[in-house]
Amino acid sequence: MRRLIIRRLLQTVPMLFFVSVVCFAMIKLAPGDPVLSFVTPNMHAEDIERIRHNLGLDQPAYIQYLIWLKELVRGNFGYSLVNHQPVLGQIMDRLPATAGLMGSAIGLAVLLAIPFGLWAGANRNRWIDRAINFFSYLGISVPVFWLAILLIYLFAIHLHWLPSMGMRTIGVSSAADVIRHGLLPCVVLTFGFLAVYVRYIRSSTIGQLKEDYVQIQYAFGSSKTTILFRHVLKHVLLPVITLLGMSMGDLVAGAIVTETVFSWPGIGSLGMTAVRGMDYPLIMGITLLSSVLLILGNLAADILYSIVDPRIKGSR
Amino acid sequence: MRKRISGFMALILLTFLVSACSGANNAASPSASASVSGAPAQSQQPAASSVPKDGGSLIIGVASDPVILNPNYAGDRVSLTIDQALFAPLFQVNNGKKTFYLAESLTPSADNLTYTLKLKDGLTWHDGEKLTADDVVFTIDSILDEKQNSFLRANFLINGKPIKAVKVDDLTVEFKLPQVSPAFEATLVQVSPIPKHIFQNEANIEKSTKNAAPVGSGPFKFKEYKTGEYLTLERFDNYFGGKPHLDSVTYRVAKDANAANLALQNGEINVKYLDPQDVATIQATNNFEILPYSEGRLAYLMFNANSDTGALAKKEVRQALSLALGRDEIIQTAYMSKDYADPAKSFLTPDALYYTNDVPTYDNDAAKAKELLQAAGVSNLKLRFIVQSGNKVQEAVSLYVQQKLKAVGVDVELQNMDSSAWVQKFIDLKAKDFELALTGYIMGYDPDAYRILYTTNASSNYSHYSNPEVDKLLNEGAGEADTTKRGDIYKKVQEIVAEDAPIYPIAYTKTIVAVSRKYGGLEEAVLKPVVIFEDLSKIYLK
Repeated sequence: MRRLIIRRLLQTVPMLFFVSVVCFAMIKLAPGDPVLSFVTPNMHAEDIERIRHNLGLDQPAYIQYLIWLKELVRGNFGYSLVNHQPVLGQIMDRLPATAGLMGSAIGLAVLLAIPFGLWAGANRNRWIDRAINFFSYLGISVPVFWLAILLIYLFAIHLHWLPSMGMRTIGVSSAADVIRHGLLPCVVLTFGFLAVYVRYIRSSTIGQLKEDYVQIQYAFGSSKTTILFRHVLKHVLLPVITLLGMSMGDLVAGAIVTETVFSWPGIGSLGMTAVRGMDYPLIMGITLLSSVLLILGNLAADILYSIVDPRIKGSR
Repeated sequence: MRKRISGFMALILLTFLVSACSGANNAASPSASASVSGAPAQSQQPAASSVPKDGGSLIIGVASDPVILNPNYAGDRVSLTIDQALFAPLFQVNNGKKTFYLAESLTPSADNLTYTLKLKDGLTWHDGEKLTADDVVFTIDSILDEKQNSFLRANFLINGKPIKAVKVDDLTVEFKLPQVSPAFEATLVQVSPIPKHIFQNEANIEKSTKNAAPVGSGPFKFKEYKTGEYLTLERFDNYFGGKPHLDSVTYRVAKDANAANLALQNGEINVKYLDPQDVATIQATNNFEILPYSEGRLAYLMFNANSDTGALAKKEVRQALSLALGRDEIIQTAYMSKDYADPAKSFLTPDALYYTNDVPTYDNDAAKAKELLQAAGVSNLKLRFIVQSGNKVQEAVSLYVQQKLKAVGVDVELQNMDSSAWVQKFIDLKAKDFELALTGYIMGYDPDAYRILYTTNASSNYSHYSNPEVDKLLNEGAGEADTTKRGDIYKKVQEIVAEDAPIYPIAYTKTIVAVSRKYGGLEEAVLKPVVIFEDLSKIYLK
């Protein structure tokens, strides 16, 4: 097991290198230029050229990449080209907001998806299955920004129950206040995740119900509920582990639209600003962080898998 | 393994998609903003003020985080807006009239080569330190320092030679100019001193961590900043202009325009910019003053005389194209109503010194347009119009132009592109593959600022306009100290440029701001382009 983990961790290095090269190349290939984000018609050309030179943006792209890489190896993520603050500091500043929001949305989605998915799978093609299916298709197809605006209108403007935006009331810092602000964005995100997870769990349940051990339990006279929750559930949880592993990347940068609509001060909205300004050190920082989490998430999922399902252990 | 790879591909694809649809700029970029459609609204004047009360807070909605809270570097709208409350300027100019803030007076010498700036007595920074001539000199020196990335630097060079700031005594600074330059005052307007005692040992002021907790001299001092959420300023009791009425001012980041409008109606935001199409909704609540005011911005159709076809190098062709278009119709198309845009004829904006709209104009005469084209021997003219995808104003106007020019036998091909690609092409002086673009500029009140747009081969002469007489006059105007003579020069330039039609001026656009009716003192605070209020200390809660 230890050797597996070490080998996999070593594999991440070339993967991250590859990701960073491709990401950097794409930023450089896209039209635009970080300097353009602050150029106004009344700026003089010599000022623009001088600032471009001071920022090292007049160098060829590969040199810019090598400089970035050299600093990264030393543990320096660089400075934003737009506001000149350290990249790592900005990301760490925003991380708790996104991780909290996404963590609770994903957690809530899993908790809800398991009973709904089992329920739908066990009652395949009955009305309850159809209803759950309907809502999960709705969750997959409804645009996030539309749902978000609808909820803001209903709960903030019409009913005055919840604030419409931000993470805190100005000047207040209490957990209850943050939760109040986070409720609407969390509901929007949960709805999206839930829809996908329910589909996975439903189909996995349907597959499991055909297995021999289920028939045997029926033969022993176990009730349907007992079979579902005592036996089928364990097997159904396996794909959930994979799903969770894959959503580790989302944990960092998965809520761009939701964060923008609710002005949630997370990494999604930071990333959007960075992309608009062609702020490559910041874009690279966010991409690397979410790649690392994605890779670690997958690794954790694989390890968990081999613990939970001994059949897999031998094959690795 | 396959799953993992597809995960990466998705990630990479996301990066690509997001970068492909990125909008290049905020602030006063060379791109038209605002949107089309919606109901017209009446403009209202601020209500007559009652007796100001003290206390209360104000929340201003802003579209993004401030980039940097240091007036030497602030170029984006949000930073400039917050800096206006944090850092007092030396003086401001409205309609050619000076209002002094930190400065008490600014006097030119007889030969106009030395300006003497007197500071008010007893000025202090927010941390209690004295604000003196040293701070002013330090500020100018750091702007001029090539290693510091201030983009105000070129303004302090006249023909490549720097303007020198010299301390005379604690309250007096002398500015030594290498040659006469009436535009110097307009340069100085942009300066808000930064504290020497904070920044003097910083190698790179732009990267300094001290910018995170700025120390200024304005009516409000820095209290707290939650990135991505809000920034709060609190009253500065020793403000030289008198204790501000409000206890605090908060700038709340609201990135999504629709959500921000809902927050405005909900009272979570008290002041916010509005798009014309949102005015009716907000007005219907009857809780807001809707205030349209001039931004000192000209929106215009640019003719690229340098395109590879050379089609627009002839002034008769440019005049004919202008004649084929109708200014009022474009205003209706782009801005819904003349309430939000005044028809423009001059390349100067109404806030500029010596501005006149009494110049020749080519407008709305298709028959004459055809005549001119024929006389110029031009037929089968084909033009390329670059348009930012998703920019409603540009899309609507480009379709209008295409249709109108077709009527006089000119084919217009619309080339849609991503906004960053558009900006890159637009500001590239070597770009030869387009003829038309819709854009705008805010240049400030001194007409010398326009020199970089209209002299031959100048750095921002995107239309590649070249007229030796204009070059000569603009250079004369830059160094003419006599205001009457200077006025004559710029009146003449405006006439010649209007006649030559290097651009088709469309409108002086307005900004619309909604302010909650709970607040008074709006008139005294003075609505100001880009920063909303010139002096926030005057605003009070009714």
